[in-house]
Amino acid sequence: MTDAWPLVAALRDPASTQALDAHGWNALIAMARAERLVGTLAHRLADIQVPDAVRPILADARLDTDREAAQALWEADRAAQALGPLGIPVILLKGTAYAAAGLRAGEGRFIGDLDILVPRDRLDAVEAALFAAGWEWVKPDPYDDAYYRQWMHELPPMIHATRDRMIDVHHTILPLTARQTPDAAAMIADAVPIGNGLSILSPEDRLCHAAAHLFADGDLAGGLRNLWDIHCLLVDGMEHDPDFGLSVMERAAHHQLAKAVWRALRLAYRLYATPVKACRAPALFDYRPQRGDWLFAARMLARDGWGRETRKALRFAFFVRSHWLRMPPAMLARHLWTKWRKGHRPA
Amino acid sequence: MTTHHYRAQPPEALLVRPLDDLTLLYHRPSGQTHMVVSPVPEILAALQQGAADAATLHARLSREFDLGDPAQAQAEIAAHLAEMAALGVVSRA
Amino acid sequence: MRHSLTLRIGPATFRVGSAWRAPVDDLARLYADYPQERDAIADFTVRLDPTSALRRFFRPSIHITGDHGLADAAPMSLAHGLLAAEMGMNLQMALGWRRHLLLHASSVEKDGRALVMTGESGSGKSTLAAQLGERGWRLMGDEFALLDCVTGALHPFPRLVSLKNKAIDVIASEVSESRMGPLLAATAKGDIRHLVPRADAVARMAQPAMPALLLFPRFGGEAAVRPVGQGEVFMRLTQASTNYVALGEPAFAALSRFVATVPAAAIDFPSGDAGIALVDQLWADLP
Repeated sequence: MTDAWPLVAALRDPASTQALDAHGWNALIAMARAERLVGTLAHRLADIQVPDAVRPILADARLDTDREAAQALWEADRAAQALGPLGIPVILLKGTAYAAAGLRAGEGRFIGDLDILVPRDRLDAVEAALFAAGWEWVKPDPYDDAYYRQWMHELPPMIHATRDRMIDVHHTILPLTARQTPDAAAMIADAVPIGNGLSILSPEDRLCHAAAHLFADGDLAGGLRNLWDIHCLLVDGMEHDPDFGLSVMERAAHHQLAKAVWRALRLAYRLYATPVKACRAPALFDYRPQRGDWLFAARMLARDGWGRETRKALRFAFFVRSHWLRMPPAMLARHLWTKWRKGHRPA
Repeated sequence: MTTHHYRAQPPEALLVRPLDDLTLLYHRPSGQTHMVVSPVPEILAALQQGAADAATLHARLSREFDLGDPAQAQAEIAAHLAEMAALGVVSRA
Repeated sequence: MRHSLTLRIGPATFRVGSAWRAPVDDLARLYADYPQERDAIADFTVRLDPTSALRRFFRPSIHITGDHGLADAAPMSLAHGLLAAEMGMNLQMALGWRRHLLLHASSVEKDGRALVMTGESGSGKSTLAAQLGERGWRLMGDEFALLDCVTGALHPFPRLVSLKNKAIDVIASEVSESRMGPLLAATAKGDIRHLVPRADAVARMAQPAMPALLLFPRFGGEAAVRPVGQGEVFMRLTQASTNYVALGEPAFAALSRFVATVPAAAIDFPSGDAGIALVDQLWADLP
């Protein structure tokens, strides 16, 4: 059974796809679609000779990601209109931020919901303003709502009544029950304005957030895509400052995210050959594999040439881990039990 | 009640296609399609002459159309403008 | 995947993988005259997966998926495997096709011009198209009509025609048994049999035609014809399209041009023959 290495190879070295036969292309496209990386792949292959039958497939992927970017920017604009009168920082996160700022990480990317970061003490005002502008709760479930408000790093999800698009309002980047406590106030203070009343995180904070999101908040579904974001963010950062990797690690330490960011960079180097720079001073950082890296890599690559998820046991282990990271064990047991009773099952 | 001023979006933002019984609008920034009837297309056309509030638009439109009771017509225009602003088809000036 | 085949229909190539052999054998037999190149690069992957490891062998149960899937897809029994494969292909087209505006409609061609019929399941559009296909019209498709946003032409997508319940006997009495698929009894939509399009419909599946008439058929009622306003046509066609929003501006331009240039009517008919008669009459009345 194959894994997703052909997809990784194609992204890191587009010219290597010249050697693919029809079977190889079918597998690559199925994997790329399953990992929501087909738009990125199309972007990476823009200047490469591909077989005639592949060209329209990649063109369709570009069409889709271009449209998603346009829709995401429109949602951001609508949020800016609704929240502008409040005079608070509204910071775009993740895919929408990359698209809005024209970053490398946004090229060919599939963008989902709108994610924004606002100060925690203004959450009620933000909630009210969004309601007034046509957003509403996605689902009124008393247990989930109480859980969200007490422990999570975001409001319960909201959706716009007529546009049918979701918005996630964060007040910090990790759940309050997680082991690490990133400095949300510092992220907000250092945010970079991009016009229309909107901002994005600083280059270092963007990468810290991406790493936190990848390891400390999720079960690694979509791991290859999140890791590609990190690769792009680092490459972008290093273009402006060759020692960007160092300033990222310094900032990560401030956010208690050094472990996550370091692992993210090691894995990006391992899979995507990200040009990380090892250093000796002021601290020793090298990018040789550490204990556990291979498990993360294996989880990320658990996809075959038909687009199927593989390595079920490993996936389940990471699913449980993702909840374990978010909350203390006793709480976890109660939470998973309640969800199990409601019929939720890991994919 | 405060009077809101509105501004048309740049001309390339909206595609307008009149059909036999209604008018189609394609709004490029949002990718949304709207099906509208009078007086919406006329209001949009009148707004092209420059930013305005409901009273000014009423004056512009009265030159070409018989709008009936002025107070009622202005209230309707104001309502249409608010709705279009919420959709993003026109901007608040 | 254990069993697979690659199939081209109109402009789309499908790679169909299955945990079981029977659905793939059915496809290979019924689509025997269609291009089936083993080494083709496919536009879509369709998968017929077991719903769980156990259900691969014990009371086999199919989860339809592929490049595009629906989270709440109902599992299907292996006896309905052919239907599952057809639904899998529908799903990929509906969610993933971008090269034409997709309309949920049947279409037939005569003298280089196309008749498009759109309506809900049970409206009679598939059966009427099948019957016209046996009476001198070329069947272009029964499920999806593909509108080229640049040229305004319709492109053929002649899949197996899905006949339900009473329509099965009506058509089976007119065609040779070799063109009928197996009886799939008691599916969610009742009994189904598939009809293989005629040889010339398959041979000419790369030949487009300009749309000349749009009908909204409704089976079961006194014969009647009602004109439909352009606004209503536009609205009903966007509702009948799965990718209108995804295609954006070119779709808006193509559909507004279609609506402004193609005459439309709603027809009610109590029987297949009555429906055919209405079609012939409206077609003859075209300029």
